Amino acid sequence: MSGIYVEQVRKVFGNFEALKSVSLDVQPEEFTVLLGPSGCGKTTLLRIIAGLETETSGTLKIGDRQVNGVPPRGRNIAMVFQNYAVFPHLTIFENIAFGLRMKKMLNSEIEPRVKKAAGMMHIEHLLERYSGQLSGGQRQRVAVARALAMEPEVLLMDEPLSNLDALLRLEMRAELKGLLAQSRTTTIYVTHDQVEAMSLADRIAVMHGGHIIQYDRPIEVYQNPANEFCGGFIGNPPMNFLETNRENGHCKVAGARLPAPRAGSERVTLGIRPEDVVVTDQTAPEHLTGQVTVVEPLGPHNLLTLSVDQQLFRVTTAADSPIRSGQEVHLALAPGRLRWFDSENGQALH
Amino acid sequence: MITERTLPYWLLAPSLIFLLLLFAYPFADAFFIAFRAEGQWTLENFRTMIEDINFGLSFWNTLLLVLIVVPLQLAIALTMAMMLTKIRAGRDLVLYVWTIPLGISDLAAGVVWLALLSERGYINTILSSLGILDGPALWLSYETPVALFIAVVLAETWRATAIVMVILVAGVQLIPKEYNEAAEIFGASAWKRFTKVTLPLLKPSLQTALILRTLLAFEVFAVVVALGGRDLPVLMGEAFLWQFDYRDNGVASAYAVLTLVISIAFTVLYLRVLRVKEEAQ
Amino acid sequence: MADITPDSLKDERSFLDRILPRWNVWQWLFVTVCVILCLWVLLPIYLLVLSAFSPRDAVFAWPKAFLPTDISTDTIAFFFGVRGVLSAFLNSVLVAALTMIISIGLGAPAGYALARFRFRGKDSFRLMIVMTRAFPIAILALPLTVTFIKLGLYDTVFGVALVHSALALPFAVLISSSLFMGIPFELEEAAWTMGCTRAQAFWRVVMPIATPGLAAAAIFAFVISWNEVFAATILTLQQPTLTAFLLTTLSESPLYFRFAGGFFLVVPALIFIFAVRKYLFSMWGIANR
Repeated sequence: MSGIYVEQVRKVFGNFEALKSVSLDVQPEEFTVLLGPSGCGKTTLLRIIAGLETETSGTLKIGDRQVNGVPPRGRNIAMVFQNYAVFPHLTIFENIAFGLRMKKMLNSEIEPRVKKAAGMMHIEHLLERYSGQLSGGQRQRVAVARALAMEPEVLLMDEPLSNLDALLRLEMRAELKGLLAQSRTTTIYVTHDQVEAMSLADRIAVMHGGHIIQYDRPIEVYQNPANEFCGGFIGNPPMNFLETNRENGHCKVAGARLPAPRAGSERVTLGIRPEDVVVTDQTAPEHLTGQVTVVEPLGPHNLLTLSVDQQLFRVTTAADSPIRSGQEVHLALAPGRLRWFDSENGQALH
Repeated sequence: MITERTLPYWLLAPSLIFLLLLFAYPFADAFFIAFRAEGQWTLENFRTMIEDINFGLSFWNTLLLVLIVVPLQLAIALTMAMMLTKIRAGRDLVLYVWTIPLGISDLAAGVVWLALLSERGYINTILSSLGILDGPALWLSYETPVALFIAVVLAETWRATAIVMVILVAGVQLIPKEYNEAAEIFGASAWKRFTKVTLPLLKPSLQTALILRTLLAFEVFAVVVALGGRDLPVLMGEAFLWQFDYRDNGVASAYAVLTLVISIAFTVLYLRVLRVKEEAQ
Repeated sequence: MADITPDSLKDERSFLDRILPRWNVWQWLFVTVCVILCLWVLLPIYLLVLSAFSPRDAVFAWPKAFLPTDISTDTIAFFFGVRGVLSAFLNSVLVAALTMIISIGLGAPAGYALARFRFRGKDSFRLMIVMTRAFPIAILALPLTVTFIKLGLYDTVFGVALVHSALALPFAVLISSSLFMGIPFELEEAAWTMGCTRAQAFWRVVMPIATPGLAAAAIFAFVISWNEVFAATILTLQQPTLTAFLLTTLSESPLYFRFAGGFFLVVPALIFIFAVRKYLFSMWGIANR
């Protein structure tokens, strides 16, 4: 298996800079997820790696082979498309065999490869059908089987689960994870769904505005977001942010006095994830005070929306919590889970 | 060199060259022929055209045909399009039947109505069995210009309403059902819904249909020849006559140029009038 | 409640009430108008076909019979026996076939370019294509007679096919462009990632999917040519198409001859509409935008 090395790749469409000098090094057998909101450049980056889009500048390597200017067919990749791209005029068997036939493989080699790939995706019974007779989930399976049958150096997936309904997506996600861990193929996977990214990735590259903001293990990205955007984009509900001023090495936030971070400008932002906050009726100097505005019972827990220092703040409580909207509550922040950001540029402060 | 950048141009080139040779060149040539005689620029061809005994007649006949046929077709096609939205069973069959004339040429349409309207034809048979006629009667001759004109109107309406209908049906399909349903919930009657919701939303299609039909209606030719020979002069018929019988390319081209100018004038007029209405809404 | 006896259940509606569906006045009106409009289209065609398949002397019959009591191929046989008819018929088929090949052969690549690429001049090209609709056929055909005489194309099947292709090409470009646009680009890209060159992806993936639509567009071109009268007539003399032959002989030919000719003009139309009925709306929708 080969790694994928992207160095300072830029992409300009007309006068729009979709990628602003992006670098990425995916290790052999690693599963990297490109995560970001729509328009962040993640799909463009994937398409450049596939050779479907031409980079404006920068270098690309697959393994130790530089692939700038190499057409997609010469890159030894396989790709799963968002809308599956299952050829409607070919049977499922021929769809999976398509790439193998292009490699001029013999029928005797093709058949076992197709059968094996179909077996992995549990679609052996569909091989004689056409895509028009298949459901969305089945088409998705065909698309993945087709990519796996190629036995590529690199597997590229562009939002492959985004067109499935929620339940099917959950099922496919787990299945994909098991399958790809087995096949040990170097994979780049594009998604805007942070849960998918957390679940699947060895490493997540969070993209925003044509930049890679953070490229790290999922738990790192979750616990130590590189900036406010990462903290706000990952996690549902997202990280809470409270803006404040530093005063003599301390910060006053909603009635609490907290030790300020050492670096950063005058304005700083406190960040904390909802699950790291405990609602209590006890006052303490380090407890925040807020007023509950909305209580949403979600089943396993209740989601509270509060107004803290006139800023939006979300916490979760037990489902049987007696707290009602309008009530004033105190919030205990888990020690060690507080994150500080520079309010000027949103960068994390350590 | 064929590269990713130049590929689209290579793909376009054949049709572009073809259209330049067989559209742009003859188009320019037509003006050249119409405005030149004996080696110099002249209006001689146009003078010959206007002074010709049939010119006025052919001009007014054509104009009158357009003014009668086009609104008639629009009304029938609109009725058909609206009915198609209501039909539950057999919609595809009805639609198929109504679109049959799409593929029928003007010459064929003329012959079809000739079979109906000839002296001993089917329509006369019906009329006499109803006691309106005593026996065979001649409709399609120079002695009965009004009847001949009506015959052409019938044949043209019969043949070319389908085009208008298809454009309108396609337009109706683009209108989301929700608009009508919303209007219904707010208490609009069927007629109100038609005039206040469907018709305004159908305007782009109506405009397209109107322009297209008018352009084609000015070219009316073979229907007229099939039904009346030379007894009902129209512009294209005169152009044909000057070319084919009198062998005068110049005057024929003058007729063609005139037809083009009228067509463009009508198109501009439609665009103007329909846009003004849009602003007034 | 009164007892229900067999007597009280007796259907007291009249016979007509029982066989007719229970519609209100408006529904009856609706169905009537619908039927009238269908007959308005069908009846004239039926009567033409009836005329064409009656014996020759039936044209003089009075009053006319509306039912096929006297079917005969006498008129049709006479029609094909007339000198020039058969060759005119073959010319029409040839011209239409050539038109089909030229217009699709040149138009489909342009349609593909419009559907798949972004390039300078794309909008102007599209506008030019749409504009060609505004040209009366006379303004093309009249000057071309002169040019064609010089080039030796006058009175040839190929010459007429060229003019007909000029008429059909804009349609071919617009129709094929929308056909290709309807085929997801992703399919081609998928083929590229699986080892295809651009050309291979086109032939192996795009063409098989586009073929039925292109065939419909080709039939469309065929009918444009088959139906065209004006240019075919002024550009030919010894080698007329069927329409040209019929038009030039109209005044001196007997009625039954014209009916048979009309029949052979109409038949392809019926087949055409039937063959492409699935594509009718997309094609006319595009062609008339």
